[in-house]
Amino acid sequence: MMSTKLSTQGRKDATAQSQEELCDSAPLRLGVESSSAANTLFRHWTGPLTADLVRTPGEFGLGQVPARLKPDATTTMVCGFCSTGCGLNVHLKDGQAVNLSATTDYPVNLGMACPKGWEALTPLAAPDRATTPLLRHPKTGRLEPTDWDHAMQVFTLRFKAIMDQHGPESVAFLSTGQICTEEMAFLGALWKFGMGALHCDSNTRQCMATSAVAYKQSFGFDAPPFTYADFEESDVLVFIGANPCVAHPIMWQRVLRNRRSPEIIVLDPRKTETAMAATLHLPLAPKSDLALLYGVAHLLIQNGWVDKEFLAAHTNGFADFAEFVRQFTPDAVAAQSGLTVGQIYRLAESVKPGKRVSFWWTMGVNQGHESTRTAQAVINLALLGGHIGKPGTGANSITGQCNAMGSRLFANVTSLLGGHDFANPEHRKKIATTLNIPESVIPMKPSLAYDQILDGIAAGKIKGLWVIATNPSHSWIGRGEERGRPRPQHGLADVGVRAPQAGLDTLFAQLDFLVVQDMYHTTDTTQRADLVLPAAGWGEKEGTFINSERRIGLVKKVSRAPGEALADFHIFRLVAHYWGCGAMFSEWTSPEAAFQILKRCSAGQPCDITGIEDYRHLDREGGIQWPWVEQGLGSGVSGLGNGAPPQTPYARPHPPSHRRLFADGQFFTPDRKAKFLFDLPREAADQPCEKFPFILLTGRGTSAQWHTLTRTGKSDILRQLAPSELLLELNPDDARRLRLRAGDTARVASRRGELTARVHVTATIRPGQVYLPMHDAATNRLTFPAFDPHSRQPSYKFCAVSVHRTDKEARR
Amino acid sequence: MPVLHHADPGNAASSAGAQTLVDALLDEQRRLTAVEAFARAHERHEIVEPHYRKLLPASAPRPGEQYAFEVDLDKCSGCQACVTACHSLNGLDDGEAWREVGALFGEALVPAVSSLFTSASAGFTSNRVVPLQQIVTTACHHCVEPGCLEGCPVLAYDKDPVTGIVRHLDDQCIGCSYCILKCPYDVPKYSATRGIVRKCDMCHGRLAVGEAPACVQACPNEAIRISVVSLAQVKATLLGVSGGAGEKMGNRESETVSASLSHPPTLSLSHLPAAWLPDSPSPSITLPTTRYVTKKPTADLRAADHSLPKPQHPHWPLILMLVLTQAGIGGLLASRVVGTKSLPLELASLSLFFAGLTASVFHLGQPLKAWRVWLGWRTSWLSREAMALNAFAGAATVAVTARWLPPLTNYYSLITSAVATAALAAVFAQAMVYADTQRAFWSLRHTAPRFFGSTLVLGLGLALAFQPTAPLAIALLLAMLLKLACELSVLKHADTDSERWTQLRRTAALQTGALRPVLGVRLLSALIGGVVFTFVIASGGASPALVFAALGFCLLGELAERYLFFTSVAPDKMPV
Repeated sequence: MMSTKLSTQGRKDATAQSQEELCDSAPLRLGVESSSAANTLFRHWTGPLTADLVRTPGEFGLGQVPARLKPDATTTMVCGFCSTGCGLNVHLKDGQAVNLSATTDYPVNLGMACPKGWEALTPLAAPDRATTPLLRHPKTGRLEPTDWDHAMQVFTLRFKAIMDQHGPESVAFLSTGQICTEEMAFLGALWKFGMGALHCDSNTRQCMATSAVAYKQSFGFDAPPFTYADFEESDVLVFIGANPCVAHPIMWQRVLRNRRSPEIIVLDPRKTETAMAATLHLPLAPKSDLALLYGVAHLLIQNGWVDKEFLAAHTNGFADFAEFVRQFTPDAVAAQSGLTVGQIYRLAESVKPGKRVSFWWTMGVNQGHESTRTAQAVINLALLGGHIGKPGTGANSITGQCNAMGSRLFANVTSLLGGHDFANPEHRKKIATTLNIPESVIPMKPSLAYDQILDGIAAGKIKGLWVIATNPSHSWIGRGEERGRPRPQHGLADVGVRAPQAGLDTLFAQLDFLVVQDMYHTTDTTQRADLVLPAAGWGEKEGTFINSERRIGLVKKVSRAPGEALADFHIFRLVAHYWGCGAMFSEWTSPEAAFQILKRCSAGQPCDITGIEDYRHLDREGGIQWPWVEQGLGSGVSGLGNGAPPQTPYARPHPPSHRRLFADGQFFTPDRKAKFLFDLPREAADQPCEKFPFILLTGRGTSAQWHTLTRTGKSDILRQLAPSELLLELNPDDARRLRLRAGDTARVASRRGELTARVHVTATIRPGQVYLPMHDAATNRLTFPAFDPHSRQPSYKFCAVSVHRTDKEARR
Repeated sequence: MPVLHHADPGNAASSAGAQTLVDALLDEQRRLTAVEAFARAHERHEIVEPHYRKLLPASAPRPGEQYAFEVDLDKCSGCQACVTACHSLNGLDDGEAWREVGALFGEALVPAVSSLFTSASAGFTSNRVVPLQQIVTTACHHCVEPGCLEGCPVLAYDKDPVTGIVRHLDDQCIGCSYCILKCPYDVPKYSATRGIVRKCDMCHGRLAVGEAPACVQACPNEAIRISVVSLAQVKATLLGVSGGAGEKMGNRESETVSASLSHPPTLSLSHLPAAWLPDSPSPSITLPTTRYVTKKPTADLRAADHSLPKPQHPHWPLILMLVLTQAGIGGLLASRVVGTKSLPLELASLSLFFAGLTASVFHLGQPLKAWRVWLGWRTSWLSREAMALNAFAGAATVAVTARWLPPLTNYYSLITSAVATAALAAVFAQAMVYADTQRAFWSLRHTAPRFFGSTLVLGLGLALAFQPTAPLAIALLLAMLLKLACELSVLKHADTDSERWTQLRRTAALQTGALRPVLGVRLLSALIGGVVFTFVIASGGASPALVFAALGFCLLGELAERYLFFTSVAPDKMPV
């Protein structure tokens, strides 16, 4: 029965070493098929029920698959949830996706996927897909089906009427990091150049605005420098406000593949899954991160633990920074962060020059009231040690959404197509020429940011809103109404902190016209729309995403959209046509045609992708990281990693699968030097008080949940992997004091709203803090709308709440 | 609505006239292009150099060995990919999962020089308490002595003699769900649409050709592997026969745990506190082969719902089956023992008994296959229960009809003995069905008084209804009080100050908490029907209405008692 040649070896020989040898001897045959017999009267080994689970070789390099789902072709496309950008091998039958598995030869995920990726096809088949345009009936007030022609006429008529009456600044759109780059670019160009509107923003404001601004100010361009290979190449990995075990499991996979026995340091108020797996967890007080990072910088400088050569050659502002951080003495920082002086020394010692040190941050940093300076404090630490441009180094922002990077570079929202500047005459001219449009249609003025657009609605200035593939009615911060309370005294006068907005429902009710374009007609926001445009989803259309490590990956059409749902790209074509500006977009006939336009826009920019031929090229290479420059087009792009000297010609037939930026220390600022940027920390608004004594932290619940659950909530198996109720993490000491036990119902209230949640007593949350996942729409009734003054990103990670037993619990 | 004029020469569709742009785009939307545009010519159909080689054993098990899952808890980060990969790669139904991921929480006192926290505690000089959480992935443990297999009445489980994999034969299953009760780990899952249970088969077909099971393939952190274990060592470790808790389980692969782990291990695995998980079912019941490896001090961790028992499924067909068959058995016995030989009483008893048997059919997902229910008699108490009930059914039918069959009337005492023997055997087997699940609240100590007590109480109640006499009424009164005393004895476990929650404490907490109204109904019915009314009857106040009311209240009380029996059982379970 045993056909392996090693199977005859003795027990002691079957060591790890012989297993290694075994790996070279293919194919491995464990060679024992489980017993199985023919059916008898009394015992049935096979039959129709058994047949349902029969597995068969899937071919196409797949291994065994369920026999009834055996594909006749496979194709690889990039996942549509988070920014990791995993390659998914879609199993096709007659061109239609029937199943999927993780792609083993994709350079990002190496054959792995998280639960969302495994279940990526399931949400497409949900019964609540929007299948026709829906128009709110003026009499019944209900959304009723209509056809595309009518929907587009209403769309055009209503938006034009508003703009005619109130001017071009009376309308806005709120878009997403979840649609393809080509679609974002089309939308931004159509809105600003074709329709003559100005204000627009996207939910990337809630997730990556801080990183974008921080990089742009420090490096001269929004350029995350790293590649995922850096996870494997580091000696010291510092995670700041990041929980990749749950939020980016496939990045954590790369950490575990690190063979250098790295030190893993996690800065997080909670003992998260990642903190559990770390070698050092520093449970700093919420929002003490900026002071702590400055304190570490102070220790590094004080002890001479800096890369002086690098600082002199490649940075600006070091002297001022050194002077600035002197006030952040270990004692002061220890008092503020709740860490010991020893822990702070320990952290500083770990990140001093000499080892490969990489810093990784995500929403714990980005979603803060002084997030840009915090992100730059991380960048500053990397600069101090010269930890940039070398393998296993970098100040690295882990992105959130699958195409946040595409949005940052090509959405035409905050920067002109391709990371250009709306106000720069040269950039305007270049884009006008590239797109063959008059320069006059390119607005000079910047758009309002997300929160300012909502303020505009509140002030009655913005009357028409188009929401595309996002769900602000669930996700927007501080949706509760501040009730009869004077504005808090502390901090509110500061930049970026305002009185809380009215609830979003109230705001949307003030609009003359709300259009929501979404896959589902059931989202919190869709329910409030005047017009619903049914969109095809990921897998039902083509385009590209750009992941955290700047890799451009392909989305393919492997499933039919239900009913009359159309790809967002097609919807934008329709809008252009009905608006009467179709001629301006005559070249935007397909996503791939748009990709060619975007290539031209990127020429000469740090994100130059002119070296990418077409979609097939991306497909062949397993995605290509930017920059990838056409042969002969040098431009200002600098430093490719993997030890390649900077003078190496960039364009080769096969781009190396992992490249990092700044190997030559040349940044994208005018003087090619990175900047030290810093500000004094400010106290967060909405501090705890006697009445609201707890600090509420929010974030991801489980790896099976994505944002507002409009997609992951449609998969039975993903729902099963997440708690069925809203859980409040509460420290055992606090629980004892409040006489709350595990499983009790607690009322959690902030100055803006309240909710009830099931109590989960755990020491992983510190006393005085509580944690709620963001996946329940109620959570943002509590959060406080503070914004970083530079990035205008909302601060989801800090507000004061009270926790009480509900009346029911009190009776017990 | 005014029609807009589309002057849009840039779009071919509008100038084509015949087809509008909307139609053109809808057409385009319906065309699937992935294959035509990107058809990947996959020349290779074999898996080249699979990444999971080192997660599989070097060779197949030899006699006395079997395959087993091995989970490195220190690598499991809670991503749950194993669950979804198993779901997708095995083509399971919506929401069906053969693997589950749970978590344990708690604190541990960590000495300043602990290897695990050495670096973490560099800034500290003394012991400290650190918060801990541990994610746990579990699937079928392919036990050495599988409870599911032993309990299955139709031999729908098979433990492969070579691989040790416990397979479920889907086409043999009658959907009785007894394996779900028998498995301490809640592994088999019932599918209402299919009428059978299904469970993990360790992807035996994949293993046979050198492929890794879906969960092993899909774990990004290489936390799950297949190893070969020695059955004797599993037994020795889990039963503590030799070596004690420190002994590592029989794993003949060398420890490759640290090979790819980021932290250099300094604690050797031989210092592991235990080979099994804290706050989970005792491994001594079925000898699970899965081995959990960790260097963390996990012994004091608890599941989040450790102190949060939830009522279990009531299994209404089983409640009816047990109470009605026991009533029927009791009634017939009463008729024979008391010597009334009342035909109405015996017919009523027989009717109740058969109604109970009929109810049991509604518990089955595949009733047409139920005729094989005796096949498992060697190990399954469910098979034995079915056989005993059938024996009773036969004997009782003969006994009741014998009065019209003259030749049989001579064998009255023999037939009665047969009825009594079958009756006792049936009720005993019924109790053993539950006792054999090794759940504390279902032990014979708790189950036998309930089952035999119902037989007695309802038998006396029936007899009283048809032949009301004072001695019968007093007997019923005493029997009922005795039974209530036995039942209420479990509540003494409710009040303990300990942090630990035993199974019986959870049962008591359920009965006095979430199930308090049911307990109220149970006590009130028993007191009205079995005490107050019987007292009145014993005092000479018997009337047809009263005696049947007494019977009715007793029956209601027993149904409520059985509801509590099923819903307040609180077995230890794997962390969720």
